[in-house]
Amino acid sequence: MRYALIAILALLALLIIAPPLLGTGWQYALINALIAALFAAAFNLLVGQGGMLSFGHAAYFGVGAFTVIHLMQSVEYGDIPFPTVLLPLAGAAVSLLCGALAGFFATMRSGVYFALVTLALAELLHSLAPHWDEMFGGEAGLSSMRMPSLGFTFGSTLEVYYLTLSWVVICIGLLYAYTRTPFGRLTLALRDNEQRIRFMGFNAHGTKIVVFAISAMFSGVAGSLMAISNETANYSVFSTQVSALVVLHTFVGGSTIFFGPIVGACVLSLFTFVVSGVTHSWMLYQGIIFVLVMLFAPKGIGGVIQAHIEQRHALPWKRLAAPYALATLAGLMVACATVFVVQSLEIVLSREYAAAVARTGEYAPYTVFAREWQVFHPFTWLFPVLLLVPGLYLLRRAFARIQTLWDKDDDDDNGDIAAAPRELMEGGH
Amino acid sequence: MDTAMQPDVLVIDDLQKHFGGLEIMRGVDLTIKQGERHALVGPNGAGKSTLFNLISGEHRPSGGRIYLRGQRISGLKPEQISRRGLTRSFQITNVFSRMSAFENIRIGVMARHGIRFNLYRRIKPMRAINDEAHALLQQVRLDHRADNLASDLTYSEQRALEIGMTLATGAEVILLDEPTAGMSRDETAYMVELIRQVTEGKTLMMVEHDMSVVFGLCDRISVLVYGRILATGGPEEIRSNQEVQSAYLGEEEEH
Ligand SMILES: Nc1ncnc2c1ncn2[C@@H]1O[C@H](COP(=O)(O)OP(=O)(O)OP(=O)(O)O)[C@@H](O)[C@H]1O
Ligand SMILES: [Mg+2]
Repeated sequence: MRYALIAILALLALLIIAPPLLGTGWQYALINALIAALFAAAFNLLVGQGGMLSFGHAAYFGVGAFTVIHLMQSVEYGDIPFPTVLLPLAGAAVSLLCGALAGFFATMRSGVYFALVTLALAELLHSLAPHWDEMFGGEAGLSSMRMPSLGFTFGSTLEVYYLTLSWVVICIGLLYAYTRTPFGRLTLALRDNEQRIRFMGFNAHGTKIVVFAISAMFSGVAGSLMAISNETANYSVFSTQVSALVVLHTFVGGSTIFFGPIVGACVLSLFTFVVSGVTHSWMLYQGIIFVLVMLFAPKGIGGVIQAHIEQRHALPWKRLAAPYALATLAGLMVACATVFVVQSLEIVLSREYAAAVARTGEYAPYTVFAREWQVFHPFTWLFPVLLLVPGLYLLRRAFARIQTLWDKDDDDDNGDIAAAPRELMEGGH
Repeated sequence: MDTAMQPDVLVIDDLQKHFGGLEIMRGVDLTIKQGERHALVGPNGAGKSTLFNLISGEHRPSGGRIYLRGQRISGLKPEQISRRGLTRSFQITNVFSRMSAFENIRIGVMARHGIRFNLYRRIKPMRAINDEAHALLQQVRLDHRADNLASDLTYSEQRALEIGMTLATGAEVILLDEPTAGMSRDETAYMVELIRQVTEGKTLMMVEHDMSVVFGLCDRISVLVYGRILATGGPEEIRSNQEVQSAYLGEEEEH
């Protein structure tokens, strides 16, 4: 617990100190990562804690964004004075109301039907927005400018970064505090067994509406921050992609752990920032990561981290070091092979390359990993195979070894847990 | 205990229920006295669980009325009935599987204190709530399992937890649906003792197939056959009732 606090404070210090040393590109990327983190944490309140999987959370993100753009416009034209720093409050309020209304209907059903209702509501906004000029600015959307407030001009990306950081830290703090309240505990009970809480005297429908509305409210804050950062919003914030991305972030990070989705959102959005600058295939890589995590670590990155923290005293770290190093090496080999193939195909199958071939009549060498490759040279095809086959083999070996070391430890553990109560039971009779 | 002088707690009057064209409850009349332990027995499919579902608000009756301490409860929602002091357990284990045993009970204690939408206080320093949950956990003898996930408890521990959760809501009238089903002889004896202790001073209505449990624990017994009460009375009365013998008890002994 104390270590967790120290780690969080260290991370926070880093987030405060580092950005001035970075370029605006990275500052902007960090803003987006923070917003994605808050959105995922808000989303996970509904999914991970409330047990309600929504496929339309873009709606509440977008409502927050548009609320703030409207308010910014009013401030810009001098209609209402409203400090820029407090803009997300307005987004939160409107998203809370919309969330309560949508939640009222959506939570009448559960499971797939709930997911479909949320999806339909978001799609409704997505198809309505381009045709509603006053409200959503048509296809072009609405734009405004950040006005100076409380001594900040909000002209630089860095100032926007600190504004975003403050709101995200406060909101994630509040979301964490939520889990420690009686209602937070009731939310978990609701997820586990809705029928039972009704028979214990709780209004399940009302409880679900409140959970939904609060989740929508914090999603609205994330949307507000996005609008402040971009100074614009258009109907695409309501798109299925936005709804799907938060699902992806949450499950890659791990929905069963509070900090999981936050980790997932940060990792994936920074990954996207780096990789999308280099290759068009970044969505494919993101998809591969998602599939791998779902297959091999269903509790997400957060689940893997948590398992290590929980077992830290029991694990034979010294004996694990070698297989972990081997797994890292083998993983890199497999990753290199995959990246090589994807990048080669991306270049060779591109329209430009086909045009060049048609023009010159020959297959020119192309560059991957800072080296020239001939399309028809055998080594070009042997190279990924030479990485992939031994890589996969070593990976299997390493994981088998890691598994046995973990299991051995698990067995000891279970023995202890099972033995203790038996003694107690016999003593108690 | 002599319950004849006690006031009526639960009164069921001409209760009917049909699912589609299927008549399951065909005019049930039943009165449960304050403080009694009342068994509901009957063959499989007689409608015992359905009767519990009707009393506790899971299903709406198709006809007839149910009164709890003189107030009509038929037609109310489960949570409204629960808040009036009647709670039930389920025939299949029905706990919060990914929460600890302690938390399972604490949710019930929250219900009893009317803590439903409290988002502004931390639960950890709420002494009264936590102490009460611990006491209840002790009462159902699960204190050594407080921090274990409900899904990690053994079957009989889960059934005990169920009873703890039912008690935690502060209910005065408790309905238990086959609390000893699927248990070994020892576990059953343990559970019967537990039920006897924790329902002291409360009103209990339970569905039970094991006749030795019924005759040992309950003051009165009602026999439900095909949606009608065949007979109600003390253990001796039921044992010697010819109709019951042929319709139910005799049939049981053939097994
Ligand atoms: N929701 C429902 N819809 C349709 N039929 C139902 C429903 N619930 C119960 N029934 C039917 O009502 C009859 C009585 O069922 P019930 O579960 O009440 O019996 P029971 O006396 O509890 O039996 P058991 O001893 O097996 O638990 C059964 O024939 C069952 O199929
Ligand atoms: Mg039944």
